[in-house]
Amino acid sequence: MIKFFSILSLLLICTLAQAQIKIVTTIPDLKSIAESVGGEYVDAFSIATGYQNPHFVDPKPSYILKLSKTDLFITVGLDLEIGWVPPLLNSSRNAKIQKGGEGYVDASTNVPLLQIPSGVNRAEGDIHIYGNPHYWLDPLNGKIIARTICTALIQSDPAHRMQFESNLKKFNDAIDTKMKEWNAMLKAMRGTKVIAYHNEWPYFEQRFGLKIVDFLEPKPGIPPTPSQLAKIINTMKRENIRIIINSPYFTSESADLVARNTGGTVVTLATSVGAYPTIKTYTDLFDYNVQQILSAVKE
Amino acid sequence: MRFIQALIILTTSSYFLTAQSQTDSTAIADSLLAVQLQEQMQQQNALQPVSVVRTAPTTNPDISAIGDFRSHYTTDRNRNIELYFNALEMQVTSVVDPYASANFIFSFGKDSLNGEYSAGLEIATLTSLSLPYSSQITLGKFKPHFTKVNILHPHAFSFVDFPAMVKNFFGDEGMFMEGISASVLVPNPWDYFQEFKLEAGRAESNASLDNGSSNMLLYSAHLDNFFELSDNSTLNVGLSALTGPNALNQRTSMAGFDLTYKWKPVQYNTYHSFTWQTEGLICQSDTSSGNAVQSYGAYSLVEYQIERRTFIGTRFDYSGLPGIEKSDERAISLLLRFQPTEFQILALEFQNINRNYAPSFQQVVFRAIFGIGTHAAHAY
Repeated sequence: MIKFFSILSLLLICTLAQAQIKIVTTIPDLKSIAESVGGEYVDAFSIATGYQNPHFVDPKPSYILKLSKTDLFITVGLDLEIGWVPPLLNSSRNAKIQKGGEGYVDASTNVPLLQIPSGVNRAEGDIHIYGNPHYWLDPLNGKIIARTICTALIQSDPAHRMQFESNLKKFNDAIDTKMKEWNAMLKAMRGTKVIAYHNEWPYFEQRFGLKIVDFLEPKPGIPPTPSQLAKIINTMKRENIRIIINSPYFTSESADLVARNTGGTVVTLATSVGAYPTIKTYTDLFDYNVQQILSAVKE
Repeated sequence: MRFIQALIILTTSSYFLTAQSQTDSTAIADSLLAVQLQEQMQQQNALQPVSVVRTAPTTNPDISAIGDFRSHYTTDRNRNIELYFNALEMQVTSVVDPYASANFIFSFGKDSLNGEYSAGLEIATLTSLSLPYSSQITLGKFKPHFTKVNILHPHAFSFVDFPAMVKNFFGDEGMFMEGISASVLVPNPWDYFQEFKLEAGRAESNASLDNGSSNMLLYSAHLDNFFELSDNSTLNVGLSALTGPNALNQRTSMAGFDLTYKWKPVQYNTYHSFTWQTEGLICQSDTSSGNAVQSYGAYSLVEYQIERRTFIGTRFDYSGLPGIEKSDERAISLLLRFQPTEFQILALEFQNINRNYAPSFQQVVFRAIFGIGTHAAHAY
């Protein structure tokens, strides 16, 4: 009998020891980074897919179920997900992941933000009052996000601190190595003027030295208008701009129209991990985008 | 002729968006290889010592105001044309503490009979955030979860007005009650979303139910089932039941079902979507003479998003009247909705309404919904 209980206890301890930290992230990039840092000790799920507009995600009840059982909720923050995260959290019945709770992780913590507006007015379109929220599109910000996630993982599972710290170092080393590669590949592109569909590339632009001159959207969140497209066409012709950056979740009609009238090239960059089948990790995201830009220049 | 005039007035509402360029982004050239994590954090501190705001630096609640302007032409009255501000809804919502959130909605609406505006409290709730066993409790004044559409506020419903079933049985804005609501996520081996909700309290008097003069309370139950059929499509199936006192101090009992199919391509979810929603109810009203009167209601709607900001839809309504036999209403509605942004909705709806207890009529209704402030997102 004692032997039976000993075995049972051992099995229980082993099960508990291997229990993974359940993580729900809003976008797959945060999931990828969490998996890189957490390794085998985490079980992560992303609500949004890589080819989905993260501003507009339906708060499906099935996500409530995921959130009700999760240990950590990692969000981009800065009101990027304000249209769909609050009703999910309110219905999750999970006190840990409410804003301010021990399991609520704002990935923007410590990220140096760009485009913090001095005033807020909805007449300017979908302005984010805390700054532009697309900060994960700078790989060096990925290192800051990873540090934030690592801290949350250690708080949640202090026993595996060493492993998390070790994984964090590997992740940072990989980014540093890749940065040399990406920087070398895009060296000739520094200062190149481009047009983008939506204002979601300032961090990528800053990191890799591109210069986004204007957007197909007349204001953030407002679909392209004929007058805006006419203005863009004139700008591209005047300033000899050749590249129009589109995103996977915007149809290409407007960008194609501008390209046809200017001889420019539309390049659809990935905004998140999983946007295309080959983009499986956070570093794949930049591999893909750098390659796409180079291909567009060669055309 | 007057009908055509009214139609012209209603349809000449046009919307212009001023094209304006975005401020240029600025590329900052720096040596990528030299930038280290620590330096970035130092840079951040140097550039934005105190202005980095990640959450609102205030304990003020989210406050929003939503306006509802309407204009219609109807063949039902001598005065065929109306233009009026229907209602202003103000919402104040926030977490109370780590354990609960609160939600208040005040409405300032126009009385259709005397034309006077009056203020009222629509919603006032305290909702738990951290009860065990995936449970949640709401208490206060709220809309009971009997059928799917009843919990919506009019501005959140895709059509200009609620289905005849809701209007005839519960009123133009649906049913309200004061009491307590308890819900739990039901564990199941297939791990799909299933929520059971039980509510008890007193109904705000309407055509079917009465606030009650005895100790008889209103009890309502709802079972919600949600299935993800694919990445792009979902199915929501709900069952509802309620029982409570009616104006005769007898019992009225109801059962209802709701079924909603939604299709929305994940990648281009802002461009196209399709919704098919059908609900029905059966109502049994006991009378003082000991008889029971049964009546029914149902509607079915489809809505298709033809492009990023434009939706079309149609709805078929059938509705009896609670406690009255052999009285029914049938209606067909055609909807055109334009949403310049998520903060503004312009809708034009044609309705043909046939009733066997009153003259039939047609009407064209224009509605403009516009919101300012921070309004809480609606549930799926």
